[in-house]
Parts: sequence; C-alpha cells; structure tokens
Amino acid sequence: MSKLRWWLILALRLFIGAIFVYAAYTKLRMPWMLFAMSVDSYQILPEWGVEIVARVLPWTELILGALLILGLVVRWAAVGSTALLTVFFSAIVRAYSLGLTINCGCFSTNEALNKVTILRDGSFLAASLILTILAFLARRRARQTA
Amino acid sequence: MKRIAIYLITGLLAGIALAAASATPQQIHITSEALTTAKSLGSSSAPVRIDEFSDFQCPACGNFYRNTLRLVIDNYVSTGKVYVVHHDFPLNMHAHSREAARWANAAAAVGLFEPVEQALFDKQDDWGVTGKIEPVIAEALSPAEMKKVQMVFQQDGAQLDAVVQADVALGQTKNIEQTPTIFVTSHGNTQPLPPGGVSYTLMKQYLDYLLAR
Repeated sequence: MSKLRWWLILALRLFIGAIFVYAAYTKLRMPWMLFAMSVDSYQILPEWGVEIVARVLPWTELILGALLILGLVVRWAAVGSTALLTVFFSAIVRAYSLGLTINCGCFSTNEALNKVTILRDGSFLAASLILTILAFLARRRARQTA
Repeated sequence: MKRIAIYLITGLLAGIALAAASATPQQIHITSEALTTAKSLGSSSAPVRIDEFSDFQCPACGNFYRNTLRLVIDNYVSTGKVYVVHHDFPLNMHAHSREAARWANAAAAVGLFEPVEQALFDKQDDWGVTGKIEPVIAEALSPAEMKKVQMVFQQDGAQLDAVVQADVALGQTKNIEQTPTIFVTSHGNTQPLPPGGVSYTLMKQYLDYLLAR
C-alpha cells in the first residue's frame, strides 16, 4: 500500500473514530430519556423503538469509534460507521424537507437542525464512505501481493 | 334612636357584603414578577421546576399542553413534585397569539389563569383561524369572572403587553427561537429539553429519574 494511502486511511480512521466516541460521550453523560426525546422528535419510530435506539445507539457509536481508533477490524467498523451515518443523514434530510424545526440530536440536545448540520453530517458520511472503500482496496491489494 | 341603629347596622352589613364580593379573586398588581407567579402551577418549593415558553396559537404548544403538560399537572404538580411556570413567547408568524397572551395575563391578574389557558389551548383551532378569542374565554368563565378579566384587559392593556414582552425578552436571552421550549430545573441544574414538545411517556420517565435522585 502506498504511503499516502496508508496515511489517508489512518487520518480518516482517527477522524471518524473520534467523532463517534465524542458523539457517544455527549449522549452517555446525560440520562437516556433526553436523547430519546431528540430521537422522538424526528417522528419516525414508535415509542418502543425510540427507547431501544436511545439506549443502544450511544454504545454502538462508542464501540465503532473505539474500533476505528484502535485499528481493529477496520473494514467492518468502517462499514458499520457508513451504514449508521447513512441512516442519520437520511433522517436529517427527511426532517429538514418536512420542515420539522427540531434539534439534530447528533451531539447534544441543543444543536438545531439546519443546512449547516446537513452539510456537516454529509461530509462525515462522505469521509466514512471513502474510508470504507480504501480499507477494502487495501485489503485486496494486501491479498494480491501476499 | 332606633332608626339610627337600623341605619348603622344596614350600612355595616352593606360594607361587609361589598368587601366579601371584592375579596375573591383579588386583582394583583400588574408586574412581570407578580404575573409570572400567577401563571405558575404548584408549589414553588417542589423539587423539580418546569419553565415553559409557549405560544397560545402554536399547534405544537397546544399538542404539548393537551397530551403532556395536563398529565404532568394532574400527576406531578398536584402532588407537590413539580412546579410549572408559564412564560409567553408569541411568535410573529401567529397573528392572534399576542392578543391571546394578553387575555391569559389579564386572567392571571385576577387568579383565573388556569381555566383560560385550558380554554385557549383546547379551542386553539377555532380562535386561531377566526381571531375571536373573547368568546372562547367567556365560555370557560362565569359572567362575573369574565367581567373582571375584561376590565383588566381593557384598562391595563399596555401593562399586560409589557409583561408579555418581558417574557419574550427573557426567552431571547435563552436563545429561544421556537415553541414550546421547555427548561427543567432540578438539584440546581437546568436542562433544556429538545424544542417542539415531548411525549408524556418520556417526560414522565425523566421526571421520575430526577425525583429519584
């Protein structure tokens, strides 16, 4: 693998991993009901679904973030982060297009959902997608040269 | 002598009757602090305090009031666990919300905020379209009560508007941009809830969590 690609993968891993760990931290430090209120405001899930997501998602983010930072099972952690960010991005775009004036819920309860948050989360998704592609390409090349 | 005694007794009885008639409800002095207290429900020493910034014409506020706040009032305010403070935050997009807030504050000045708040939110779909707020309030109050509210509304309009504007200014210091916006204070910490209202299920769980700490 070229040095440039190696550094790029490392940078993306640490960047996306840190985002996920920070996102998990902001949610886990407050009672789960507060994050559940943010999830509920998207008007997508039933009550029982809101509670499951509110209780499980922060831990999922923490695990994915840790795996990316530590460089463990990178390909599958990248797939997981891309899948999660795709879901987040879709929900945000849907809420915005419906005119819901809600908080993003991405990092705290106080962040309004607007064009800036859409742009930001879109860039996270793009970064995660690039990482996923590079990670799989790197694995394929490693197998070919082996 | 007898006649003088009769006149004196009649005059005394009339004075007592007059005092009794004006005794309840008393009109309070119209200041921001006094009306904020008059628009509050429950005990101020309750362990949890909810500050609600609300617009009477806002559908989300009506939904929050009917489906969440009423249940909080029934189950937590009445038992002394939660103190609810209403603040007006009429949005410019709602043509009649400032007038509705003025009526609500006029009612608060004579101790009738709760029934008027309920009437305004319950019939929001009606007066929100027609702008006819007074009949909605009249339906919720007795004729004598309505007369008192009308007097305050007509005579103290400027002061009532100033009280509403003070609430708006307070909300602006907290960067409020939409309604309802709720702040929950417990153990010295104030937590803003996601704007737009929350379900009673989640509010209940959060209040139980705070009360158990």
